[in-house]
Amino acid sequence: MLKLNRRHFLASTAAILATPAIGFAQAAAPAKGGTLRISVDQAASVIHPLLTRVNPEYMVTELLYSNLTRLKVDMSVEPDLAESWSANDALTEWTFKLRSGVKFHDGSPLTANDVVQSFKAILDPKNASPALNNVGPIADVIAADPLTAVFKLSTPYADFPVATAYTVARIIPASIATGDFKKLSTTAVGTGPFKLVSYEPDRLIVVERNPDYYDPKRPYLDRVEIQVFPDTSAQTSALLAGDIDIISTVQPTEYLRMKDAQGVNPLRVPSGQFCNINFGCDTKPFNDARVRRALALTVDRQAMVDFVTEGFGTPGNDTALNSSYHFYADLPLRQANIEEAKKLLAEAGYPNGFEATLIASDKPSQRTQLAVALREMAKEAGININVQTMPHATYLEQVWKKGSFYVGFYNMQPTADAIFKLLYTSDAAWNETRWNNAAFDKVVNEARGITDEAKRKELYAAAQKLMNEEVPSIIPVFFDVLAAKRDWVAGFEVHPRASVFRLDYVSLTDKAPKRS
Amino acid sequence: MSPNYLLKRLLMIVYTLFIVSLVVFAITQVLPADAAVMMLGENATDQALEALRQQMGLNDPIWLQYLHWLGGILHGDFGQSLRTGQPVGPAMLQALGRSLLLAVLSIAQMLVLAIPLGVLAAIRRGKLADMIVSLISYAGVSLPEFVTATLAVLFVADWAKLLPPTGYVPLTENFLDGLAHLILPVCVVSIILIAHVSRMVRSELVDVLHTDYIRAARLKGLSTSRVLFGHALRNALLPTITVVALDVGYLLGGIIVVEEIFALPGIGRQLIVAIQTRDLPAIQAGVLLMAATYSIVNFAADILYAWLDKRIQYD
Repeated sequence: MLKLNRRHFLASTAAILATPAIGFAQAAAPAKGGTLRISVDQAASVIHPLLTRVNPEYMVTELLYSNLTRLKVDMSVEPDLAESWSANDALTEWTFKLRSGVKFHDGSPLTANDVVQSFKAILDPKNASPALNNVGPIADVIAADPLTAVFKLSTPYADFPVATAYTVARIIPASIATGDFKKLSTTAVGTGPFKLVSYEPDRLIVVERNPDYYDPKRPYLDRVEIQVFPDTSAQTSALLAGDIDIISTVQPTEYLRMKDAQGVNPLRVPSGQFCNINFGCDTKPFNDARVRRALALTVDRQAMVDFVTEGFGTPGNDTALNSSYHFYADLPLRQANIEEAKKLLAEAGYPNGFEATLIASDKPSQRTQLAVALREMAKEAGININVQTMPHATYLEQVWKKGSFYVGFYNMQPTADAIFKLLYTSDAAWNETRWNNAAFDKVVNEARGITDEAKRKELYAAAQKLMNEEVPSIIPVFFDVLAAKRDWVAGFEVHPRASVFRLDYVSLTDKAPKRS
Repeated sequence: MSPNYLLKRLLMIVYTLFIVSLVVFAITQVLPADAAVMMLGENATDQALEALRQQMGLNDPIWLQYLHWLGGILHGDFGQSLRTGQPVGPAMLQALGRSLLLAVLSIAQMLVLAIPLGVLAAIRRGKLADMIVSLISYAGVSLPEFVTATLAVLFVADWAKLLPPTGYVPLTENFLDGLAHLILPVCVVSIILIAHVSRMVRSELVDVLHTDYIRAARLKGLSTSRVLFGHALRNALLPTITVVALDVGYLLGGIIVVEEIFALPGIGRQLIVAIQTRDLPAIQAGVLLMAATYSIVNFAADILYAWLDKRIQYD
């Protein structure tokens, strides 16, 4: 058996450089106790850990439950419930050794059977868990002994320990997974650092320290209150007043408002979160790669960054990766070239351009901004775009995955494989462009089955080059993730994944207001 | 007021609510969203969707779905939220309670301030006091809530740090803190009401003060205050009741902006969230509850009106 740790498949220079710094910062022991108030901009409507769908819900379940592994801010994995893991040479069988003595909130002990039944519940289509497409190619999972879970995969998968850190792949008691599955919609029985105290989806969720958490040092806080603030300026006011300690998602305008405020630290981290303009690659006129490339050539990417992200972002190059991702290939950035675009259109049989309707959901508002910016930029090449906005629910129902010209928006995924397999391979769960490229599928599938860094780098570079040439979607901008905190909050780092929070590492300094 | 009339009015309310239920059900049927898809999300398999549709009765004919829904409501069951999976009735009632608290406090504050201001302006007509009151009320009517709310937060909370800027704390949880959180929203809402009602009181009172019976009362030698408070104001206030009752309608739906800015989870905000997420049972419950509250308040206003003005006879 090949012994693998995270460095084998995920070592990045950043990770290595960052490690001593983190170690140093934690040298001064964080103070224990206190109540942290963190605000979210959207209700956490679902607290069932296997059914959550939006960032505030991930935050709540991350506090209450554990995964087998966890994602650090540098996107490498660390042990959570699994103490160690290893794979066979073919990378088709993964063995996870669990910590001993871990207890669920109801006092029952954690065993490998809980892991087995949790994953079976995720894989059961009847439960419609959003993790179904994100936990890797699991064919079967068995409990080899009370503290060993073995995953058999249908295809080799080097990133599997990253997949088990997925925000919805939490571990729940086997008795609930196989019994009253819905029970967790109103209560919480996890092994996480906190226990649920009260839950009002649209206003306030309160959790308190789990005294039986497996790491006796963590969490540092006694209590966390998650408050829902639908209005962003109200949220900022509450932070400025010291009423809340952390804002989990900050809008650019609010970021600027907080920049010079006393006692407030605005936080910013580049991320792989992007907006994309999707083409139905099986529908005229977008079934011709020349047309797609022509449209991509009308885009002034820096102008897009300035307009759509208000400067809080980086230009994209029509591939799903940017420099925040490991295995990013630094291709020359595509520059706007109207002459070239017109030439390609003429070659494709549209010498006078064409007209098309671009659909954008109203949430988040950047989608519409992006659509409007593209409309203006494409005009010069003779392409007339009508922008149509619609409510997000209608968009999901009528356009997403079905449309032939629409704007998407995605959180950063933990690995190159995760984002390619989610959106762009022909068998992708959310293949929203219906792009069917055998060469692309081949390199992505080969790369996920090996651990040789250099070879993987080469394969992922090829994948990015193919996306850049074929343009299944235009990806003009990547967003920075913005947040903010009071200066009395220690140990909080913004995660580029935007859906991971690690609040069990957060503590309050003695400057923090005392709250009962 | 005959018992017959009361019964008629009550039946009228029931009839109105029935029509509202038909309309809201019809509208939620044509909203472009599949309830099963909304509930299970993007990853649902066809098999899971079909099972849920069966379970929720979505494959039944629409009239049958309506009857099931109506039957549930008559038993106090408004159905389950597609968003949270929880019963929507209690959630919406709780939200309605918060909105009503805000409304009642705002109306109380308005009554305390608006009537004296209106009286002052009427008896000092054309003088400085009248001009100041008019100026304030014009400003109050023409400034939208999002402006006054934002200004209030900026000056009172952010800058002077006198009150918490936003958020909602139930009075039962921490009375003083809860009250502190309510002051700003109540002030913002009541500014508009004060502007509205003080102008109303002023113009009604000016009219009444010019009537023959007031002149007669003065000629009888009654004191100014007795004429004003004993005779004139009573009649001038009657139309105010109607205005206040109508304002309750505004307060339930219109304060959504205030609820949004102050992060106060009232029924207006809940309804917006429900519409955005196509949470059909929540939309239906929210609209019905608001319609019911509105009908009851208007009914109460009519009764109060009749009680204050004996000339009015309903039958």
